[in-house]
Amino acid sequence: MTLSKERLLELYKKMVTIRQFEENAAELFANGEIPGFVHLYIGEEATAVGVMANLEAGDYIASTHRGHGHLIARGGDVKLMYAELFGRKTGYCKGKGGSMHIADMSLGFLGANGIVGAGLPLAAGAAFACKYRGDNGVAVCFFGDGASNRGTLHEALNLASIWKLPAIFVCENNMYGISMRQEHHQNIKDVADRASAYGIPGISVDGNDLFAVYEAAEEAVKRARQGDGPTLIECKTYRWRGHFEGDPTVYRTDEELEAWKKKDPIKRVKKRLLDMGVFTEEEDMAIWEEVKKEIQEGIEFAKNSPLPDEADLLEDVYCD
Amino acid sequence: MIRKWIAKRGCPFPLIRKGAGMSTVGIIANPASGKDIRRLVAYATVFDNIEKVNIVRRVLLGMEAVGVKRVLFMPDYFGIARQALDGLTGQDSLKMEVDYLDIPLTGGQEDSLAAAKLLAEYQVGCIVTLGGDGTNRIVAKGCGDIPLLPISTGTNNVFPTMIEGTIAGLAAGLVATGKVAREVATARMKKIVILLNGREADLALVDAVVLEEQFIGSRAIWDKGKIKKIVATRGEAANIGIASIVGGLHPLPPNDPHGIVVELGPAKTKVLAALGPGLIRTVSVVDYRLLNAGDTVAVDTAPCVIAVDGERELEVGLRDRVELQLRSDGPVVVDIKRTVDAAAQQGLFRLT
Repeated sequence: MTLSKERLLELYKKMVTIRQFEENAAELFANGEIPGFVHLYIGEEATAVGVMANLEAGDYIASTHRGHGHLIARGGDVKLMYAELFGRKTGYCKGKGGSMHIADMSLGFLGANGIVGAGLPLAAGAAFACKYRGDNGVAVCFFGDGASNRGTLHEALNLASIWKLPAIFVCENNMYGISMRQEHHQNIKDVADRASAYGIPGISVDGNDLFAVYEAAEEAVKRARQGDGPTLIECKTYRWRGHFEGDPTVYRTDEELEAWKKKDPIKRVKKRLLDMGVFTEEEDMAIWEEVKKEIQEGIEFAKNSPLPDEADLLEDVYCD
Repeated sequence: MIRKWIAKRGCPFPLIRKGAGMSTVGIIANPASGKDIRRLVAYATVFDNIEKVNIVRRVLLGMEAVGVKRVLFMPDYFGIARQALDGLTGQDSLKMEVDYLDIPLTGGQEDSLAAAKLLAEYQVGCIVTLGGDGTNRIVAKGCGDIPLLPISTGTNNVFPTMIEGTIAGLAAGLVATGKVAREVATARMKKIVILLNGREADLALVDAVVLEEQFIGSRAIWDKGKIKKIVATRGEAANIGIASIVGGLHPLPPNDPHGIVVELGPAKTKVLAALGPGLIRTVSVVDYRLLNAGDTVAVDTAPCVIAVDGERELEVGLRDRVELQLRSDGPVVVDIKRTVDAAAQQGLFRLT
């Protein structure tokens, strides 16, 4: 794997955008400006960016309730995302869906999903469509360690395996299913072990290492496009925030959180880019400032957008 | 759990003590080996932890049969030791004392290093490892002169031996109890020290490789085009990984005092090598020469990545200075076949 300077900076900027998007979402939610629930992706940026960097137009993504990072990594519009979070008419779902239903079919983004593990069969279906049409597309499904206990995992991996579907199942193992530690909800530590039950490759990678995730996804996507079937990639990572904003996180220790913050995926990329001479400290600061401006513009756009009115109530509810 | 298990059988549970010494064996079983990207880029299999549990059971039974009295386990996140013991409660229940080492559990390489250091401090008679080259490299950093008995459970393994656990257990027990003399059973290996800006940053037991890579990433090596230079302690064409390149070029057994440095690049000399499971490639070699202990090889590629024993481990920046040095003071390793054969020749298996 050799990435150009431009490509490295592009990936890094996406990670920074996710971080700043989520930090601002946390603040806006705490201020009562965002209705509903938000589940933030801070700390897991390397996984979304490392996987998405290997996808092309025409590929599909099934996301989760913690889906902001996935969409930003795919190239989603932060203005439309914030507008949706604010419940505005200009949002991705015209303000009717909120954080957990954001979808962008132009990007093959089948949507965040409020149901744990529900993206798995969607991705299997999308992968089937790609194979049926012969368009060389692939489908990626993100899911968590908690979701890996759902029957949908079995159904999706089994079908994907027997039909050799071009699917990549990405388990974001952040050690907790809501508030339940992994060892309390499953008797294995590596979700990748489950792959062997379906006769497909399963690997575990450091989900906080952008380049480890990138390489794993690159090879899995290559396999899928070449007709070699699905892959299960387990990315070991950690969410810095609670399961949802407002979660008191009494189920984990401050020491554990601090230990994972030391493995900050963004700082790790930054250090290597500095060592390689890809950018300087000043150029890094400029990236953070540029992203900050884009995020503020997104928030302003959302705040200045209208709310849906009564006439919109039944629009997009039923098929015409 | 272990304490309950022992208590149920009326065996008093001693505290770990220094000088546990002879007839005590340490076991370091790495639950993380066998799940890397070589399942995608090659045809490696998933080596699941349940099989490691079974191997540990067989090792324990082998050790007990030749008189091992105590076992000290590295605790691990999967609970390999706990599960192994849970499965030995029937007709094959163990009589030996069992305990866990008191180390902070991180789930990373640090666990194996901390366990090795503690086992060296306790002067156990032997350390059995379950893992790949990577696991043994970490253990070698901390185990001092305690004999290692490495059982292969990883992917590209040159250092550990693919061996039935029962036989490995017998050999470990024969060494730990002193029934087979260490001079007969063990040999000291070579190693390569990686010097980063003048300080010892890491070591390799088999090979250190300079890669024209940007990142550590998923750690494994499968792209021959990235390999610029190899410094190796051995070359074995019958093995998988970098050792197969060296072995195809100039066979170098572990008991040869020399090391070797190999330069790769466009050249007439071609070597057919098994870089990974099912991954056979033709590699072009520009030059090679043998090294004596103490010889140092400068790394002249920057930025680059240094891989040790088959895993990318060290990212080198533009301003870093790296040297690779062959040393003769590597770990002491049990020769399983020689040990068991010696025991047979001594009549240790003839009970009547």
